[in-house]
Amino acid sequence: MRFFLISLVFCLMLSCGSYPKKQHLIPTYTLENSIVNPYFSDISKDYVYKARIEVYDNDFGGLLIIKKLAQNHHRIAFTTEMGNKLFDFSLMDNEFKVNYCVSELNRKLLIKVLRQDFTTLTTENLSVKHQFKNQIGLVFETELYGKPHFYYSSDNLNKIVTAKHGKEKVNFTFSNIKDNVANEIDITHSNIKLKINLKTIY
Amino acid sequence: MMQAQTVLQPSEAEALRSKVKAKAKSTTTISSKFTQYKHLDFLSNDIITKGHLTFKSPNKIKWEYVDPFKYVAIFNDQTLHINDNGNKSDVNIGSSKLFKQLNELIIKSVKGDMFDEDAFDISYFKHDDVIKVHFDIKDKKYWDYLKTFQLTFNAEGDVEEVKMIEPSNDFTRIVFEDRVLNKPVSDAFFSH
Repeated sequence: MRFFLISLVFCLMLSCGSYPKKQHLIPTYTLENSIVNPYFSDISKDYVYKARIEVYDNDFGGLLIIKKLAQNHHRIAFTTEMGNKLFDFSLMDNEFKVNYCVSELNRKLLIKVLRQDFTTLTTENLSVKHQFKNQIGLVFETELYGKPHFYYSSDNLNKIVTAKHGKEKVNFTFSNIKDNVANEIDITHSNIKLKINLKTIY
Repeated sequence: MMQAQTVLQPSEAEALRSKVKAKAKSTTTISSKFTQYKHLDFLSNDIITKGHLTFKSPNKIKWEYVDPFKYVAIFNDQTLHINDNGNKSDVNIGSSKLFKQLNELIIKSVKGDMFDEDAFDISYFKHDDVIKVHFDIKDKKYWDYLKTFQLTFNAEGDVEEVKMIEPSNDFTRIVFEDRVLNKPVSDAFFSH
């Protein structure tokens, strides 16, 4: 019985272990107070990506367009390749506005997920709560919309992971980075069947 | 400098309608290059894409985007075939009446033959050497997507430009060039 209880506690400890522990991240003295996500920070740029979205068994494409209009203010639209607008959102400070959404996509849960993903993608300045290192570089723990976010950085910011109960929930991978533009972005959700691949078109 | 735009006289409008209808009737195929400008008011620049359009009467149309990405959309009767840079898929548009009707409107706009007073409030303008016709959609069910088609005709009655305006005033403008009419095109060209 005692062995069973010890095993149970050990199992619970393992399954409830923090994300950094599970990822074998080594705590370091916090050196940075804040970090910057530069990928949608240039007000003069129109960020236009060819998007492929896999949601459950549906696979569709289009253009994802992100524009910074002011500090903490982005406009995010999605159109088909032929120009039909599917959604158009505004993110301003913590406010979120649906300017337009076709009825087929106007689902509360989907919009909540997209709101959180776009908030993660476009938030520029984040306070660092904890700092870690791994074999590749530094990992900064921050918080957005009340959820822990881990920013992986080596030469550039190359990954953001959101975590819940110690498990990876959403993974944002940035690659082919040049002049503060991530030319390819992959967003993978672990708890729902949703994958988004973005590639700049120009 | 503002270009002069005048309202067309009813007789001139009638002459245009006859010319365009006769042309649409005798057109079996259209092959044309196009440049698409997607205008979103909040962007600094329009998103420009280029490609080739092929139309075969009565209802086959193929949009081949080649720049800056490869993407093919073929509307063939009840089916939309998509080839997204090698990823092929088919969408049954027969099941979505609205989508089908929207596509029929787009096909009509490419031919120019959409002078339907029941479906549109139509106004005619002369603009230097071209004629611009505004087709304001009457049926509210489309207003979620589009409110107006604006077609630009050259002197021969060919559509040079189609502008599809959304309720928000964002728009898609398609400019055609190197248009070839009635070149033989096989049905197989509209499959993938």
